[in-house]
Amino acid sequence: MRASLASISLLAALCGAANAQTVKLPIIVPITGPIALEGTSQRNGALLAIAHGAQSLKVEGEVLDTAGAPEGGANALERSAGNKSVVAAVAPMFGTQVLPMIPLANEYKVPLITTAGTGAITEKGSRYVYRFFPSDIVTKLAQAKYVTEVMGKKRAAILYNATAYGQSGHQHLTDYLKAQGAEVVYADAIELSTKDMTPVLAKAKAANPDIILLQMHTASMALLLKQLAQANLGIPVVANTMLTMPSTAGLLEPSELKGICAETSAWIGKGVSPELDKFVDDYGAKFGGVPDFFALQQYDGVMMVLKAVNSGATTADAVQKYLADNEYKGVAMSYRSDGKGNMAHSAAIVCFDGTTRSPKLVKRYDAIASAK
Amino acid sequence: MLQLTINTLALGAAYALVAMGFVLILNATNAVNFAHGALVMLGSYIAFTIGSLLPVVGLLLLPLLLIAAAIVGLLLYFIAYLPLKDKPVTSVFISTISAGVIFENAVLLIYGPEPRITPPVIGTSAFKIGDTVISEQSLAVIAAAAVLIVGQQLLFTRTRLGKQLRAAAQDPDIAAACGMNVGLMVALTFAIAAALAAAAGMFLSATYYASPTDGANYTMKAYIAVTIGGWGSIPGAVIGALLVALFEVVIPSLPALFPALMQAVPHAADLFTMTASTIALFIAFLIVLLFRPQGLFGETIKRRA
Repeated sequence: MRASLASISLLAALCGAANAQTVKLPIIVPITGPIALEGTSQRNGALLAIAHGAQSLKVEGEVLDTAGAPEGGANALERSAGNKSVVAAVAPMFGTQVLPMIPLANEYKVPLITTAGTGAITEKGSRYVYRFFPSDIVTKLAQAKYVTEVMGKKRAAILYNATAYGQSGHQHLTDYLKAQGAEVVYADAIELSTKDMTPVLAKAKAANPDIILLQMHTASMALLLKQLAQANLGIPVVANTMLTMPSTAGLLEPSELKGICAETSAWIGKGVSPELDKFVDDYGAKFGGVPDFFALQQYDGVMMVLKAVNSGATTADAVQKYLADNEYKGVAMSYRSDGKGNMAHSAAIVCFDGTTRSPKLVKRYDAIASAK
Repeated sequence: MLQLTINTLALGAAYALVAMGFVLILNATNAVNFAHGALVMLGSYIAFTIGSLLPVVGLLLLPLLLIAAAIVGLLLYFIAYLPLKDKPVTSVFISTISAGVIFENAVLLIYGPEPRITPPVIGTSAFKIGDTVISEQSLAVIAAAAVLIVGQQLLFTRTRLGKQLRAAAQDPDIAAACGMNVGLMVALTFAIAAALAAAAGMFLSATYYASPTDGANYTMKAYIAVTIGGWGSIPGAVIGALLVALFEVVIPSLPALFPALMQAVPHAADLFTMTASTIALFIAFLIVLLFRPQGLFGETIKRRA
């Protein structure tokens, strides 16, 4: 009798353990290499989402480092995607690494959840890329509209990094500025390893622009802005969203940021909503420091995936269908696919007043590119 | 033009310190130290750390930095070179590559991926001469690097220790036969090279920030400078470093300096972009390898490490 009771108890415990569903959600991001700062933010946002959103699920969020190589993401996805418990994968914000992952995502039928801004990643006809960040199609339009319609500028210089992100932004900005009746008088690609920006600034000055637009990564942008402040060219600057990362602004003195504006996806500030306050507080407690938009919107992306799984979408295929067909109200904004996997359709312009490293919101562009 | 000249000299001066250290180890061991760029990066972070504890200008931190970096150089000697000195030279390549990776990841682990800035040599003010902005930092880097270059040259040419270091590098067997402790000389060479690299690291990261991944870039620049300037030649390394800085700063600026060129040469804007200037530097590097492999100032060599 006692042995039977023991057997029944053991069986019950085993059945209970089996019922706690395990899903795998590999977090494939650069945590070393030139984009480590942004990748670390993505990782943190994803891990925080798993902590908040798992509910009764057992979520295995293995972090796989893509470093700086273009094939880093594809190699990591190849290693992890074959497992049937994988419901989705977090993909790097580095478009150069996401592009080689797309054929693998198509082959393994695993949705990629990313905050990469590079336009091309949702222009490859794949059903498996979901971008929780306004693409260049949205952000560059906001940037171009702001400089032409609000600032009234007509002669632009575009400085961008020689990466897929930089080149994508340059192309979209050029197209939008021309559509808005402005002219691109100078453009140059800057290697990530370039230290001295004097040649670029000299040529930009010689072209006599009335506005400088940037599409650059963190350290490179900070270097350029520091040297721009020293050169004192007196030409206003509207940068890309990387400037709004606390880690980028932290590399510059408030005086070096005076008058500089930037496009961004999400305005992160206390008092905006209780959900955002909780996110900021929990992020600080778990990881230290202040979160940026990469962390926030990666958090929203993973939360949507976990909502899908908690709603019964327990396979990668079902999660993909959920992402394609549903709207999700995240902490930063509402997300809905436009049919190509672009989930975010709003952007904002923020400006630094020279007294602090925290910019102020000056203009919002909501639903600038319509959802499906 | 004045600003470009000063910026080129400042960048070239820092690169010269990197290249000199590279050549010193090359001459002493007949092997390329692929961790040399990592020593530059490490120097940046040591300077950042000391600067966080002692809030003074870089010039006052420099002696402490040189001592700390020399100790790192000795460690590199004992771990990456000494156990393998009688093995094929490729073993030293591999061990120094490994050391560089270890340094990079250790810094990443301790400091994280955020770029850091080191204290300026003297200050960060700038003054204007007409339209030209001259930064105090650039002038201070040129002066400080010049002092270190001259100091190194005096050490090696005017002191007994320097002569022993050179003798041990030129012919270790004869030097040993003469009673010199060749192992000690090579160890000291590593220490001096690391100190020079660290000084360069502090100068560079005060203006350009420091990141854990900077090492490979500096190693490549040192390699190019030494190859162009003269394999094994210290004056050649200095000239080569200045040429690398020229390609980085002056060449891409030519359209702004000579606007008539833009109009006279088809697609001049595309020929003088930052990317095109990088390509031009590597083309120059290949040309030197093909037609003058000993470099501009090096002696003809039979075998290159």
